[in-house]
Amino acid sequence: MDASMNCKMEPIEREEVIAKYLSRSLDEEAVEEFEGHYLGCDECFDELQVSERMAADLRSSSLAWKQSGGISVLQFKGHAELTHATKELDELRREVLEQKDTKVIIDLSRVTKIDSAGLGQLMSCYSHLVKNRGMLKVLNPVPEVRKLLDMTGISTLIPAFHDEEEAVSSFGEQPE
Amino acid sequence: MDFNEPATDRLRLKLRYKVLYHVGHNCPDVDDLVQETLVRFFRAEQRQTIRNNAEECGAFLNGVCRNVILEYRRRMRREPLLDPDQPIPDTAIRPEAEILEMRDAIDNGLAELAERDRMILRALYLEGKEKEDICKEWGMTDAQFRVVLFRAKERFRRVYNAEMKRTSTVEH
Repeated sequence: MDASMNCKMEPIEREEVIAKYLSRSLDEEAVEEFEGHYLGCDECFDELQVSERMAADLRSSSLAWKQSGGISVLQFKGHAELTHATKELDELRREVLEQKDTKVIIDLSRVTKIDSAGLGQLMSCYSHLVKNRGMLKVLNPVPEVRKLLDMTGISTLIPAFHDEEEAVSSFGEQPE
Repeated sequence: MDFNEPATDRLRLKLRYKVLYHVGHNCPDVDDLVQETLVRFFRAEQRQTIRNNAEECGAFLNGVCRNVILEYRRRMRREPLLDPDQPIPDTAIRPEAEILEMRDAIDNGLAELAERDRMILRALYLEGKEKEDICKEWGMTDAQFRVVLFRAKERFRRVYNAEMKRTSTVEH
C-alpha cells in the first residue's frame, strides 16, 4: 500500500481512537473499521505503534534498581515528587518493602518535592531495613529536600551522601 | 498496486500486529495466520479483485485476515487441547534483552516529561478517559490538550525511531 497516502483522520480524533483501541474499549465495529484503516495507512500504523510503546512506558514503574559495589541503588527514572497520594510514593514503598536486599541507597537527585507523607515513607523504609539487619542511605538530595531531612532530624538516622562511591563504601563501615 | 518487498514486509508487520491483538501473544500460530492472510490476499490481487486504492485495499486485507482468524478459532475449538505439560512455545516478538534495551531508551524519552503531562497521558491511554473530561479536570482548552499530547508523542517518537534504527542496523 502507498506509504505516502494522505490520512484524512483528524490527529486528535485518531489519538482518541488509538487510546481506546489500546485499552480495548472500542466496540467490535469500531475495531474492524480502525484495523481496516491502519492496514492501508502507514501514517496511522506508525502512530499506533508509537502510542502503544508510550502507553506501555506510562504503565511501567517510575523506579529502577541498579547494583553498585554490591549495594542496591534505587533511582527515579524521571522527576518525582514524594508527596501525599503520588504514584511514586506508593511505588517507593512497594519497591523497598518487597525486595530481598536490606542495604539500600535511594537516589533522591530527581526528587523535587517531599512532604510529611514522603518523609514518613522514608522512615518506614528505614525501619523495615534496620529490622532486617540492613541500612538505608540517600544520595544527592536537592537542597529543599536536604533542608527538610535536616530540620526533621531524619538525616541523623538516614545519612545523605553526594558521592555514590562514598555512599556505597560507607556500608562497609557499618557494624554487622 | 505495487507490492514490492518492503511493501510486503510492511503489510506483514501490520498483519502481525492485528493478529496478535486478537489471538494474544502466547498463540504459537501467529506467523502462520499472517502468511495465510497474505497468500489469500495476493491470490485475490492476481485475479484483480482488489481496487487500486490504499483505503479499500486495507479494508479488503482486514476482511481476509478476520476470516483467517475466525477459521483458526473454529479449528482450535474442534482440535484437542495440547498436552498441558508441554512447554509454551516462545513466540515473543523480540528477545527479552532487546526489549529491555529499548525500554531503557524509551524511559529516557518520557523521563523528560513534566509530571502533569504524564498524568494527562495516563488518563488518556491507561484510564480510558475522554478528552473532554481530561480537559475539564485539568482546566485545559482543546488547544492546550493538543500541545501536551503532540509534544509528548514527538519526544517519544524521536527516541523510539532512533532506537528502532539502531536495532535494525545491529540485526543486519
